[in-house]
Amino acid sequence: MVELSTILAGFGDAFSLINLAYVLLGVVIGQFVGAVPGIGPVMAMAIAVPFTFALDPLPAIAFLIGVNKGGLVGGAVPAVLMNTPGTPDAAATALDGYPLAKSGKPLKATKMALFSSVTGDTFSDIVLITVSAPMAILALKMGPVEILALMIFAFSVLAGLVGNSLVKGIIAAALGLLFATIGSDPENYTPRLIFGMWDLYDGLPLASVAIGMLAISEILRRLSETGGKVEAAIDLIDTGNPDDRRVTWDEYWSCRYVMLRGAVTGTILGALPGIGSTAAAFMSYAFTKAASDDPQSFGKGNIKGIAAAESANSAVVGANLIPLLTLGIPGSVGAALIISAFMIHGLQPGPLLFENQGRLVYGLFGAMIMANFINLWVGQLGLRFWVKVVTAPISVIFSSAILMCIVGVSMATSGLFGVAVMLVFAGLGYLMASFGYSLVIFIIAFFLGPRLEISVAQSLALTNGDLSQILRYPVAVALLVMSVVAVAYLLWRNQAIQRLEQKDDANV
Amino acid sequence: MKRRTLVGIAACAVMAMTAPLMAADWKPDGSLTMQIGFGAGGSTDTMGRVLAKVMEDQTGWNVIAENKTGGGGVAMFTGIAKMPPRGTVIGLGVNMPILVNLVRRGDELPFDLESFDYLGTISKAELALVAAADAPFDDLPGMIAHAKENANMPVAFGAPPQKLLMDVAARTTGAEFNMVTTEGGAESMKLVLGGQVLAAFSSGEHFPHAEAGTMKVIAAGNAQRLSYAPDAGTFVEAGVNAYVDPYFYLATTKGTDAEALAAISGAIENALASPEVIEIVNNAIKNDPLNLGPDGTKAMMVDGLANVGVLFAK
Repeated sequence: MVELSTILAGFGDAFSLINLAYVLLGVVIGQFVGAVPGIGPVMAMAIAVPFTFALDPLPAIAFLIGVNKGGLVGGAVPAVLMNTPGTPDAAATALDGYPLAKSGKPLKATKMALFSSVTGDTFSDIVLITVSAPMAILALKMGPVEILALMIFAFSVLAGLVGNSLVKGIIAAALGLLFATIGSDPENYTPRLIFGMWDLYDGLPLASVAIGMLAISEILRRLSETGGKVEAAIDLIDTGNPDDRRVTWDEYWSCRYVMLRGAVTGTILGALPGIGSTAAAFMSYAFTKAASDDPQSFGKGNIKGIAAAESANSAVVGANLIPLLTLGIPGSVGAALIISAFMIHGLQPGPLLFENQGRLVYGLFGAMIMANFINLWVGQLGLRFWVKVVTAPISVIFSSAILMCIVGVSMATSGLFGVAVMLVFAGLGYLMASFGYSLVIFIIAFFLGPRLEISVAQSLALTNGDLSQILRYPVAVALLVMSVVAVAYLLWRNQAIQRLEQKDDANV
Repeated sequence: MKRRTLVGIAACAVMAMTAPLMAADWKPDGSLTMQIGFGAGGSTDTMGRVLAKVMEDQTGWNVIAENKTGGGGVAMFTGIAKMPPRGTVIGLGVNMPILVNLVRRGDELPFDLESFDYLGTISKAELALVAAADAPFDDLPGMIAHAKENANMPVAFGAPPQKLLMDVAARTTGAEFNMVTTEGGAESMKLVLGGQVLAAFSSGEHFPHAEAGTMKVIAAGNAQRLSYAPDAGTFVEAGVNAYVDPYFYLATTKGTDAEALAAISGAIENALASPEVIEIVNNAIKNDPLNLGPDGTKAMMVDGLANVGVLFAK
């Protein structure tokens, strides 16, 4: 157990002017690169890591944490304002964020994203600071078989997002899984479907697929709709009602259960390395939609949809530090970069970190709390700026967005190959969206695919390929039963909603 | 702190001695790009980025580090092999993935060992087979005996050479292992700690757990015993005729101007002697920098190719 004096000394270290300055700098950079489509906080962190060598460990890591957290808030901005999420975890935010912004309430939408992001983040930070040790033990007990069952459960919950056509949903998911198999197989490292292009050996570059599918294809669609007219990317309608420009306390409070559910989902998935924030955001969104009295309002600008997605994907980032600090296991690329910053300073996160470096760890916690407040404050200022930016003519906004996407992807993938992949997927995304196939389902399947395959391989190796051995894993069995129930319930509900919608149409 | 100071002084002395050897007039046309064959955040990436920064500080050149992933460096070295030799792009990779792919599907690769001019190595990686501290065996013969007695003997691996070592062990001894694939050392450690596997390969990810007393080293995967665990025997000592010696090495396009090669390899040599790089190599892989130099690196690759061929021979 860490002594109270160490904890206090750690917090004391954190709350110094120099750390405050570094956290502030990190948050500002993070929010900026998060909000500009294409670059993203991970790349900013990768570039910054070697420069932190010259700093003391605490400001160095605090700075990186600031970038990471700032990026979360920034990432929601293009998703909400332009429907062009730069990262797939913000795609869930766009589902309701963009319709709300389009209806003339961009400030309300982005502010709700900011508030729920900081709320989810703070929740997972509190879990990290108070009960990271037991959470880590829980994560260790979730072996490959349990993780496989959990992923099947995740897929079944996502059935709630399939939309009108079950067949089209299944096709989109299958296509996503198919593209996820490109690259080496996880057991014998044989290249699959790479056609001599060794750049594909590790799989399709994630940034290219995500940005091509989600951002560029949406820009293409919008450009095709403008027909050369000069108009603003988004209309700021001044209704004279100040409540349209802010989130009222009542609105925030009405989302308390939504945000709590999102934060818990995000924290659990974040503590388990490998599943990631995209799944967390969509699962939370699907849970919220399934639990709602008015599921039809989702996708049309329901503020709860924003709260569900943002609270969950932000909670993942704090929770990623649970396995990182207690076991030295990074749950994401961002977390791996924080490990490399630790490594540069001669510290290796692991079971003894709290004992040997307790003061630094609590200093880090102090910095995280600081970063959350600064995120809120910088976000409040930054959002006004971004909302102003998107009132510029659509031709300016979209052409610069395309440019940023190309620059960002070529930086992230070190070359034009990634840009070519991005353009291919932009075309595919445009076609799929035009014919009513869900891009969201495709992206989730694509992102979860590799992990799903590894989990299947691991489970088969552990059980000697004998399916009946699954009975030895009660948690997995419970999750599988829940999956079946979830699929049955969600499909039934989906049909009920469709019948309702048809009735509405008939009445009109 | 004292040791670090000593290392620093030694480094300065080495630098002072080697500096005149450097071809001082050559400098890259524009900037020098160091392509790293692995993703951001790993030990190769961390060492490479610090090396690039120190090279830039020492030479005044503009040195840019960028990640170019794909096949553990195969994609990156494919690009370098196809480039015109301008002396503006160098690659940092690990020998094992390159050698394994050259042996297994050399005819599909657009390069061979002769497609490059070699610049040097950063260090040698040490590969350990580790188990939980309370595992019912302490060494490789014990683990093989345990596998023969029990139906399930799960072992986690995160890269092809690790699986090869166990394949050779299974072939030689007749023991069967449940080979559980992972995304890398960190995930392998999670499975050991969670009790889902009994043993796993680690290229340093187990250090904090060994320090905490929750893990022990079972065997060394290298030709020699591990510098940090000299009591653990090698696979060869246990009668399994296989080893892997992964090196972090740098190379560039064949036919690069001799003056440029001398300047770049000299810059690498100088940077490797700097206290910053020594410290980061120590921190990242618990080993000292080891530069085999241009000729030594080439010899290492040629010998390595023969050794990997032996690993695959049935």
